Amino acid sequence: MLRPEEMTRAVVVGSIESLDVTIECLYELGVLHLIDFTAQDEEFRLGQPLPKASDASQKLLKLRSMIRSLEIEGHKPSETIGVPQLAMSLEQALVTLDLNTSSKAEARQRVQSLIREKESEMRTLEPFESFEIPVEDYEGYETIFSVLGVCRSDPEGDLRARVRDIEVLKSQRKGDIAVAVFARAEDRAEVTQVLTDHGFQETKLPKVAGVPSRVIARNRSEIADLEKDLTRTESDLESIRKQFADLIVASEEHLSIEVLKAETPLRIATTANSFVMDGWIPSSKVAGLQEALNRLCCGLAFVETLPVEKHDDPPVKLKNPVPVKPFEFFIDLVSTPKYDEIDPTIVLFITFPLFFGFMIGDIGFGLGLMALGAFIRFKFKDSAEARKLGAIILAGGFFASVFGLFVFAEAFGVPFHAPEGAHDEYAWDGFVYIPFHHVLDKMHDIKEMLALSLLAGWVHLTLGFVLGFVNHYRHEKKHALAKVAWLMVLLGIFVEMMVIAGNATVTSEFLNSTVLSPVPGASVELAGMEVSLSAVALIVLGIVGLALTEGPLALSEVIGLFTNLVSYTRLAALAVGKGAMALAFNSMLLPLIFESHSIAFIIMGALALFVTQMFFVFFLGALSAGIQAIRLNYVEFFLKFFEGGGKEFSPLRYERKYSVVSK
Amino acid sequence: MDPTQMGMALVGAGIAIGAAGIGTGIAQGQVGAAAVGATAENPKMFGKGMILMVLPETIVILGFVVAFLIMNA
Repeated sequence: MLRPEEMTRAVVVGSIESLDVTIECLYELGVLHLIDFTAQDEEFRLGQPLPKASDASQKLLKLRSMIRSLEIEGHKPSETIGVPQLAMSLEQALVTLDLNTSSKAEARQRVQSLIREKESEMRTLEPFESFEIPVEDYEGYETIFSVLGVCRSDPEGDLRARVRDIEVLKSQRKGDIAVAVFARAEDRAEVTQVLTDHGFQETKLPKVAGVPSRVIARNRSEIADLEKDLTRTESDLESIRKQFADLIVASEEHLSIEVLKAETPLRIATTANSFVMDGWIPSSKVAGLQEALNRLCCGLAFVETLPVEKHDDPPVKLKNPVPVKPFEFFIDLVSTPKYDEIDPTIVLFITFPLFFGFMIGDIGFGLGLMALGAFIRFKFKDSAEARKLGAIILAGGFFASVFGLFVFAEAFGVPFHAPEGAHDEYAWDGFVYIPFHHVLDKMHDIKEMLALSLLAGWVHLTLGFVLGFVNHYRHEKKHALAKVAWLMVLLGIFVEMMVIAGNATVTSEFLNSTVLSPVPGASVELAGMEVSLSAVALIVLGIVGLALTEGPLALSEVIGLFTNLVSYTRLAALAVGKGAMALAFNSMLLPLIFESHSIAFIIMGALALFVTQMFFVFFLGALSAGIQAIRLNYVEFFLKFFEGGGKEFSPLRYERKYSVVSK
Repeated sequence: MDPTQMGMALVGAGIAIGAAGIGTGIAQGQVGAAAVGATAENPKMFGKGMILMVLPETIVILGFVVAFLIMNA
């Protein structure tokens, strides 16, 4: 929490004979983040791929081409296959497949392209079918020429008026008109001109012989035959697919891993008799690695830890408890924190669902979101991202339900109990009595909600500056002090806001009399506004501190801090907006359902209510609440301390899905 | 307060937030288009794009504050 996993700089060294065993061992443990070796000199050279690399690569190439020709790119084997069994069946299978697959796949491609060719011939000839002139008779004359195509309007009248001795054949079709024109060779320019005026598009005839209708009939029967061939080839391929798909996909995975391992020496330094792998290991794993190497390499390879130097940049592996882990999703979207930076995941874990829940604030939609989150979490098991997103929605939905039940007391935009003075409004107590009364009413306690939002903003931003202070404290005390100055400005702005709010809201009244009570209460009236002298003093002191620590340029951001704080009022704004939208739909459509006497109206009303609630309030509401909740974290919060740009910890490791080592 | 004055104040508040909203919209439209383009080329740009995208929101927030002050005055 807050800090990434501690890393130790380590080198794994050993005798060259133990290289393959060491690589095997490192991949199994998945703890070494290898630093690529680049500085070759006379003694240290890049390693050579392990001997098994070339054989495995060749097979892999074959398998991948087969995967393409069998079209099984996305195939997921129903069960895993053990590696020994894979190795045994693969040799045999490759021979069989080599003989069958490529020829079958080629045949299929040939037949498919033939069919396409015949079909295009048919499409070309079809407009001219009614002329009944053999295709070969359209060309091969010395004194006359012919031209075929389709026009948008009928050109015959114009052609006959402007060209002497002309033959025009035409057939009206849907939307255009097919024409064949025969004329003297010297009239070609004139004919072309007239045809162009009628939106002519020329057709090039295919190289076939015979009357179009006969050619078309012939092609049709040929296509039928070809399609039979195609089905046969397809069924052959299908049976190959059925028999070998699992094996091919599992072998592809296994061989990819083998090649990955076999090519690892290309990233490390070797001498004639030894190898050196430089990298980072989580400090807690060093002893385990040493023990494994001792056991497997019989003392031929060992781990040596090195002191961390100043310019070293260790890779970052975020370390968070299981419930917090999904929120690393949001960190990944921005940037990996640097190694010596604070990892804010745990703060997101608290603030994101809290903000989200406050904005949705409805037990009906909250439970719906929880169901949606759980569905995504458990349905898309293969995608780590989707699992994380599902868990996040689940947490957000939970908080929305809590706020909906205890604070806003409403479900699907309908309150548990009708508000005072509006007893004709629809409420759940007509059906079922729920023993919770609202603490806040979205439509009437807007000022209270604004004050609460500002309080949330103050706490959140304060935390941001505190984290910024901690981040900078070890490197540059000056920047750390600037964070203290910022904190003073922030406190000043917040005190002033609460002074203005005075006793208008319970929140400000409570804060003024408790947390902010040590702040001296003297104030003056300025332009109709109560201005707290303590607030002014805090802001001025902060600004002086900023000018001293960060230079005068930082002053331009003071107004930015004010907008940062006001920006949190979006929490209230979205909650009110969503509440108002749900209320509007409910007050239009509920009377239709409960007060009309026609069954058709009732059904229509219920459908309309369902669609509008689902779309506008549930999906759009959840989407905008989610975006705003994460935005408050990214923009207002992160910019106070987060720099990012760390290197992600990516150890030598592989993932097997379809092949198993020991089975 | 005289109802005409009150009405004028409300119109003023409306203009304050409305005009500020238009300004933000124009700015965000341009930044957003560029940010989507950058994210399409490199998904890692999402965070940076989002931060740039929301910078113009300051304008509408100031509009909101002005409107709020007018309403309460």
